Amino acid sequence: MSTYMYKTKDQNPIDAVKTVLSAMLAKSQVDAVFVAARTPYAKLPMPALITSADKMDDVDPLAPAAPLNAARQASSILKYETGKKIALVLRPCEERALIELVKLNQCDIGNAVIIGMTCMGRMENGTYLKCLDDHEDLSISFYVKPDLQAHITTTCKSCDKFLSPNADITIDVTGMKDGIIGFLPQSEKGETLLSGLYLAREKTSTYREKTIEDMLKTRQKEKEQVMKAAKALLNPLENFQKTVATCLNCYNCRTACPVCYCKECVFLTDIFAHKPEVLFQRAKKKGAIKLPQDTSMFHLTRLSHMAHACVGCGHCSSVCPSGIPVADMFRAVAEEVQRLYQYEPGKDMHERPPYIAYREKNTFIEQGEDR
Amino acid sequence: MEQFEPKIIALVCNWCTYTAADLAGTSRLQYPANIRMIRMMCTGMIDSKYILKAFLSGADGVFVGGCHPGDCHYIDGNLKAGKRIPGVGKILEQFGFEPDRLKLKWIGASEGPEFQKYMTEFVDTIKTLGPSQVRDRMIL
Repeated sequence: MSTYMYKTKDQNPIDAVKTVLSAMLAKSQVDAVFVAARTPYAKLPMPALITSADKMDDVDPLAPAAPLNAARQASSILKYETGKKIALVLRPCEERALIELVKLNQCDIGNAVIIGMTCMGRMENGTYLKCLDDHEDLSISFYVKPDLQAHITTTCKSCDKFLSPNADITIDVTGMKDGIIGFLPQSEKGETLLSGLYLAREKTSTYREKTIEDMLKTRQKEKEQVMKAAKALLNPLENFQKTVATCLNCYNCRTACPVCYCKECVFLTDIFAHKPEVLFQRAKKKGAIKLPQDTSMFHLTRLSHMAHACVGCGHCSSVCPSGIPVADMFRAVAEEVQRLYQYEPGKDMHERPPYIAYREKNTFIEQGEDR
Repeated sequence: MEQFEPKIIALVCNWCTYTAADLAGTSRLQYPANIRMIRMMCTGMIDSKYILKAFLSGADGVFVGGCHPGDCHYIDGNLKAGKRIPGVGKILEQFGFEPDRLKLKWIGASEGPEFQKYMTEFVDTIKTLGPSQVRDRMIL
């Protein structure tokens, strides 16, 4: 597939992205753009829905920060077919989460154009703001200076899925060192959109492949270590208890999780709102109980419900007020569960989640263990 | 030393395994008294929470019994269990629970002797494994 490169003559890469998005709006190729943008009130970019080309000033999808996984916000716009054509600028983990939500019938992306990116990672909010103090142009310098890239989250450092294979267009940042940003069409839809924008058409640089290859190696190595360390946090149960000892049961991890989609979570129902008698009874059984109760139960239940769909975005760790490495924990277990079900979340929109496709690939029955 | 008597929770389906248990009873087939049976309408309605709760409350083993594939009273509830329960087992394994502590078996309504056999076998397995790591430990 050919590559369209948008050369940055007098423009910096961020402006190049803005120009392309504005052009899509101005040419009515799309009705709206869903993209990370700064609000007038904070420096952290938040997902924004933009319908006017002249409101592109604060758009900043390349900022190495994401206070939330935008997939859930994207799904709220795409809840049902509205006839509106929307371009969504998403990180690879957001794209994977969105695909999982499509499979769970939470939204419809038939009319959407997905613009992914070669993701170099994101920083924790605090780190981002701190780095921003020293680097005014962080969204550009981040891609140029390796010492800034060292500040990304543990999850991002160990993420080996930093490409957007399912996107219609990928924003290529591997050439940012030379001040070049590329737009790669990955589907017919993407091809049509980009060819209508009169961009300079060039061949994909070999530099891109090399960068991606190197990145993959580093990330995989890091992932191995993180997963190994995470497994030691869980096994035996004693270690897991130490890991979650300071959990507040605030359920932030659940709120931040893009694939935890239930409208009414069981942990907010009466099932877990125990009567005093139940608490007394439990205390009597063991002599003492810790409050709030059901901390282990919460994490294990969430794992058993969602581990197969964990896209490994790391937002659960970022929002934990107690600094529990929830994402490492989740990813380590998810890896095993996904291997068991031979399922990779966010890979294929038409693949059905294991619990829905219970008639297919049912190893328990195929292995003849029933008798 | 006192012999270890495991506590085992059996989640069984109303239509097949529970009936098999009934048959075992009326046929005067003996099986260990370590089993605490909970009758469900179908194995397909067993949320992973039920199994996790049992283990976190100190059960040494959990047995799930349902109809043979194709025999489900609700057409395919047992297939759902067949897909879901290995996943729960995999998760428990990551937390140091031996995989053998969770067992899923299909036992038809007429299989009283099989019910007795599987229960005895399962109790033996758990006895060899020893008490669960949850026992006498504060679980948060």
